[in-house]
Amino acid sequence: MDSTICERGTPVDELETPCFIVELDALESNYRVVSDTYRDTVCKMRQHTKNIKSPFLAKMQMEIGGSNGGVCTAKVAEAEVMVEGGITDILIPNQIVTHDKLDRVCALARHGDIKLCVDSVENVRTISDVATKNGVEVSILIEVDTSMGRAGVRGPQEGVAIAEAARDMPGVAFRGVMSHQNVGEAFSKEDRYLRGQETIDICLKVKDAVEAAGIPVEIVSSGETFCYDVAAQIPGVTEVEGGSYALMSTGYGYMTEFQIAGKVLGTVVSAPRPGVVIGDVGMRSIAAPAGVLPTVDGLDGVEVESIHDDHIVLRTNGDSPLRVGDKFKLLPAHQDMLVNRWDQYVAVRDGAVEDVWDIPGRGCYH
Amino acid sequence: MERPIFKPIGTPTEELDTPSLIVDVDALDHNLATVASYFAGRTAKLRPHIEAHRTPAIAHKQLAAGGHVGGIAVSTLGQAETFVPNGFSDVFVANLVVTPQKITSLCALAQQAKIGVAVDSAANVSDLSNAAVANGVTLEVVVYVNTRLGLYGVEPGQPAVDLAKAVVDSPGLVFAGIMTHEGSILSDDAGETAAETCAALQPLLDTRQAIEQAGIGVRVVSAGGTSNYEAAGAIEGVTEVQAGSYALLDARHAPHLPQLKTAGRVMTTVTSRPEPGYMITDGGQKAIGADTGFPSVDNLPSPTVKGLSAEHGSIYFDSSDGVDPQLGERIWCTPWDAATCANLHDYIFAVRNGALEAVWEVSARGRYR
Repeated sequence: MDSTICERGTPVDELETPCFIVELDALESNYRVVSDTYRDTVCKMRQHTKNIKSPFLAKMQMEIGGSNGGVCTAKVAEAEVMVEGGITDILIPNQIVTHDKLDRVCALARHGDIKLCVDSVENVRTISDVATKNGVEVSILIEVDTSMGRAGVRGPQEGVAIAEAARDMPGVAFRGVMSHQNVGEAFSKEDRYLRGQETIDICLKVKDAVEAAGIPVEIVSSGETFCYDVAAQIPGVTEVEGGSYALMSTGYGYMTEFQIAGKVLGTVVSAPRPGVVIGDVGMRSIAAPAGVLPTVDGLDGVEVESIHDDHIVLRTNGDSPLRVGDKFKLLPAHQDMLVNRWDQYVAVRDGAVEDVWDIPGRGCYH
Repeated sequence: MERPIFKPIGTPTEELDTPSLIVDVDALDHNLATVASYFAGRTAKLRPHIEAHRTPAIAHKQLAAGGHVGGIAVSTLGQAETFVPNGFSDVFVANLVVTPQKITSLCALAQQAKIGVAVDSAANVSDLSNAAVANGVTLEVVVYVNTRLGLYGVEPGQPAVDLAKAVVDSPGLVFAGIMTHEGSILSDDAGETAAETCAALQPLLDTRQAIEQAGIGVRVVSAGGTSNYEAAGAIEGVTEVQAGSYALLDARHAPHLPQLKTAGRVMTTVTSRPEPGYMITDGGQKAIGADTGFPSVDNLPSPTVKGLSAEHGSIYFDSSDGVDPQLGERIWCTPWDAATCANLHDYIFAVRNGALEAVWEVSARGRYR
């Protein structure tokens, strides 16, 4: 367990490193982009907390606006953290299949509106059995595979069978459909629109088929950060599951309206050769999924050469602006995995620590 | 914080919550005994590097197994701060500690235990010396020599001799010796591993000789890791090997070290079966880690990990013999890098003979500072 012990007002440059910082101006700006986008839309944001793992950060979006008042959580343990944090409208866009986990879902259902996503009739039956045993009702959405090639029904008929099963079984309530999309190579705004519409249409076809079978569809939960603006304009989509937009990462560099708010502060610990310095941030603390390197923030001519368990090699051109003891900031390639490696947000503004917040959802993958 | 469903001691392993890091105690004990016995009859001894598991319960077992120098290696000050209060009295920080606050903390630890630290610059030696004197403690200092890995460290030969002299001349510091991290040397051919290890460590051995010729005694020559522990331990002049991954082992090392067993694995659950020969599990990057490679899947025919999302594993397998795992069935994954995986978990579920024996805290998880 890691804990940052520092006083409010501590200059960022005096923090011990490596240190995960969140720049509040950037975070608030990202939240305002979402608030503005959803101001006049029927569709609202249901923030995905797998990326922030903190009910506090989720409530910030709710206060700023654009939220439907609920969140997505990847796992049951994450849902527990959110419910304990006072957020009771929970959608788990994932399959919960074992009795012990479903018992926990049922316990949560006494405190909130808990919605699970399923992709098989068998799963509906299991949820129905456990919910009935526990004397609660659990809501069900159909997960639709549109482009991920992961979980989800592969066609409308599978979806209709699930909706009918959910309608007919006790202890469960059918609520709607859900999908996650893969951005593919669609990075320009025009391509994001096309890609978003093309994939979300696959989800909407399942909605249409279920409605044609006479079963009302209340929720269409789809879209994510890369098509947060696209999905909000597609008729029928009621909510968007965006998560990455809050803290951002270099992988979303094509979305210039958002700023990277989550960064890792490091210190130079060695200058072994001309043109090379070694920093104390490694894969352990920043995460490097698939070996994708982080990027140095705001230092011209300084580039990441390689990353190791606990160190990073920075190449500098000419006279190094970095000496042993100097601080630098790294921009993550993927903030989701980064947040999962830390126990606290050190919240900074104008170069000083404003607050330190726990990340209670860290490690909640059960 | 990890929030698994905790179940009573004695619970059958397959009934534990998933995705969880499960350690088979018999396999762990086998690994510890195998490596300890290798060092038992040698001049070179083991210094278990705990970064590979971050778990005091495992480190205590490593020391109980014997064949070691009497202490452990860690990679950060924070790990040392975790392990000293857990009863470890000889802790070597195999890394550079340069900031004033961290050096002060290091000196505070040296009030409680024998603390060593690596250096690669005269400025750092001076800072450590000043702090040690101010705090009235003695730090064991090891000169970090750059060899095959080419990461950091002072160059072999005269630069290392000069730095050793600086340490010797600095009050508050004791010059213990020299070390290097030469990096993993993974080969199925023991002769090849030995040859590459010898080549990688020759500059370190030459440096030892040069420092001794300068009239300075070199007590510690530390090198090697799990990949080449036998080769490094057999080299005359090497006094200790900092190996850690041998305890849990992982998919990266296992094929090359048949004398050891994979003791640390993540148990996951089938959550979706969207197509024949394809499954989705609840074990993704957050629970297993994929920074340097995908896990191996142990109980499926011809498994191929298609991908590891943040929260899901996507796995193909050969279903031609009617293999058809059902929702809720357990799939066992051996992480590519056990150290990455251990750092993701707060708890290790220790099992023996198919039942839960203990829950160990991964106390130094997240101690990056």
